[in-house]
Amino acid sequence: MKDISENNRPPVFKSWLTWYILLVGTLAALILLFYLFMKTFN
Amino acid sequence: MRTLDWIFLVASLVFIVLYGVLKGRGSRDIRGFLLADRSMKWYTVALSIMATQASAITFLSGPGQAYVDGMRFVQFYFGLPIAMIILSVTAVPIYHKLNVYTAYEYLENRFDINIRLLASFLFLIQRGLAAGLTIYAPSIILSVILGWNIYWTNLIVGLLVITYTASGGTRAVGETHFYQMLIIMCGMIGAFIVAIQLLPDDISLLDATYITGKLGRLNTIDLRFDLDNRYNIWSGIIGGLFLQLSYFGTDQSQVQRYLSGSSVTQSRMGLIFNGFVKIPMQFFILFIGVVVFAFYQFQLPPLFFNPVASGAVKESSMADAYQVLENKQHEIHTQKQQAIRAYLEARDTGDPQLITEKGSELITTHQKYVDVRNNAKAMIKANNPDADTSDTNYIFLTFVVQFLPVGLVGLVIAAIIAASMSSTAGELNALASTTVVDFYKRVFAKRPDDRKEVLFSKLSTVAWGIYAIVLAEYASRLGSLIEAVNILGSLFYGTILGIFLAAFYIKRVQGRAVFFAAIFAEIAVIAVFIFTDISFLWYNVVGCVGILLLAPVFELVTKKYSKSGA
Repeated sequence: MKDISENNRPPVFKSWLTWYILLVGTLAALILLFYLFMKTFN
Repeated sequence: MRTLDWIFLVASLVFIVLYGVLKGRGSRDIRGFLLADRSMKWYTVALSIMATQASAITFLSGPGQAYVDGMRFVQFYFGLPIAMIILSVTAVPIYHKLNVYTAYEYLENRFDINIRLLASFLFLIQRGLAAGLTIYAPSIILSVILGWNIYWTNLIVGLLVITYTASGGTRAVGETHFYQMLIIMCGMIGAFIVAIQLLPDDISLLDATYITGKLGRLNTIDLRFDLDNRYNIWSGIIGGLFLQLSYFGTDQSQVQRYLSGSSVTQSRMGLIFNGFVKIPMQFFILFIGVVVFAFYQFQLPPLFFNPVASGAVKESSMADAYQVLENKQHEIHTQKQQAIRAYLEARDTGDPQLITEKGSELITTHQKYVDVRNNAKAMIKANNPDADTSDTNYIFLTFVVQFLPVGLVGLVIAAIIAASMSSTAGELNALASTTVVDFYKRVFAKRPDDRKEVLFSKLSTVAWGIYAIVLAEYASRLGSLIEAVNILGSLFYGTILGIFLAAFYIKRVQGRAVFFAAIFAEIAVIAVFIFTDISFLWYNVVGCVGILLLAPVFELVTKKYSKSGA
C-alpha cells in the first residue's frame, strides 16, 4: 500500500487504503440494511 | 416466442459475435491475443470479471431460488468484497510485476515447475468440465420451457462463442462482455418492472413486500452459526471469503480478466468495482424472484414448474391422483388470497393482536399449499425415481414466457444466452491460455515463435470449444454430473488457494514442503466430504488452512532430514 508510483496511483483518493475502508464500510452497511429490511418486513 | 422476440434475440446474438470479431482483430503475438496487450480500462475489466462469474444459471436459477427458499442466498457473496481487497493488495501487484500470462506461472517463479504443472492441470480438468456445463445448463431449461432442440441449442451457442473467442482472444472476450452485461441488465430490469405492473391493482409493491416477508421470502440475514446450514452470515463471510479468494485469485478464467488491465490501478479498480456492485446485483436478481412469488400469490401457478416432469405423471396411472392435488391447490390458492387480503387489512388497522392473528392464518394457509406441492413432488418421484424434484430453475423462465409482453420475452432469452456465452468465452479463453503458456510454451516449444504461438492459441480455443460442446451434448446422459462437478470444484479450490497463499505469505517454505502439505490437506478435505455433513463452503477453509498450517511443519522436517542426511 505504500508504493504509490504512476502505475498504481489510486483514482479520487490519496491512498488505496481509503478505497479498501470504503469497500469494507459498504459491505457492513449492506449487511445492516439487509438485516433492517428483513426485520421490517418480516 | 413471436416474430418480434426472434428479432430481438437474433439481432442481439449477431451483434455480439460481429462486435467481438471486429474488436479482436490484429493480435500478432500471444501478449495481444491472451492479454489484449494489457490495454484494458478498469470498467472493461470490472464488467468482464462480472460477466465471467455470472453464468446463465445465475439469472435463471437466482429468482427461482428466492421463490422457493427466500433471499438467504445473498449471504453467499458476503466474503467477496473482502476477497477483492486481499487480491488487490497481494495478487495484482505480484502478477503485474512478474509480467505473467497465467496465475500458475507465478508458482514456478516462487516454487518449482512441478507445483506449476500440478495447479494448471487441476485447473484444466475442473474448468474444462465446467465449460461444458455452462453451455448445457441453460440449454436444458430453454429446451424444456420453449421446446427447443437441446442438441441444436448447445451447438449454436457453442459455435457462436468459439467464433469470436478464437478469432479475437482476450480483447474480443473483454469487449463483448460489456455489451453482454448491458443486454443482461436490460432484460432483468424489464422483467422486474413488468412483474411489479402485473400485481393486482389494489396490491402495491410495499404490500407485496410485506406479504413475501410474512411468508419467509425476505430471510436475507441468518446470524446463527451452524456448519450444516449452507447459507448464513458466517458461512458467507468466512467460507465465502476463501471460495472467492480461490476463484478470483487462482482460477485463470478470472485472473486473465484483470491481468488484461493496462496498469495495477486499472486491474485493482476492476476488482474493487466488482466488490461494490456484486452484492447489490445479486440482491436485485433475488428480489425479482420475490416479486414473481408475490405475483403468483394472485395468479394460480403450475403445481410443479418443470412441465416435462409433471407431464409424465399426468400421462401415467397416477394422473387422477395428480388431478386431485391440482384441484386441492386451486382451492387453497383461493383461500390464500382471502388470507392475504385479511392480513393487509389487519395491517391497515394497526392493531398488533389482529396483525399477529391474521399473519398466523396466512402462514397456516401457505403451509397447506406447501404440503400439496410436496405431495406432488413425491408423486413425481414415485412415478420416476430418477426425476429431479427441484423445479427452481424453471420458475423464472415459465413466468417470462407466459406473462411478459412480446419483445421483452426475446430480450430476456437473449440475456440468458448472452450470460451463457459470456461465461463460456471467459472459460475457453483461460483454458487456451493455460494450455499454451503452461504446457505448450513451457514444456514442448523449442524456441519462441509469435506466429506459431498465436495460431496454437486459436486452435487451442477451438479445441476446448468443441470439447465443451461435446460434453454439453452428452451431459444429459451422465445423470447428476452437475452436482458431481460442483462437489469436485469445492474439493480442490481450497487446496489450490492454500498453495497460492503459502507462496504469497510464507516466505520460508519451499516447493517440496508445499507439495506434501497439499497432499495431506487434500486428504483432509476428502475425509470431511466423506465422513461429515459439513456444508461444501467449509471445504475451502479446511483445504486452505490445512496447507498454511502443514507447510511450515513439513519445511522444518525436510530441512532437518536434509541436514541429518548431509
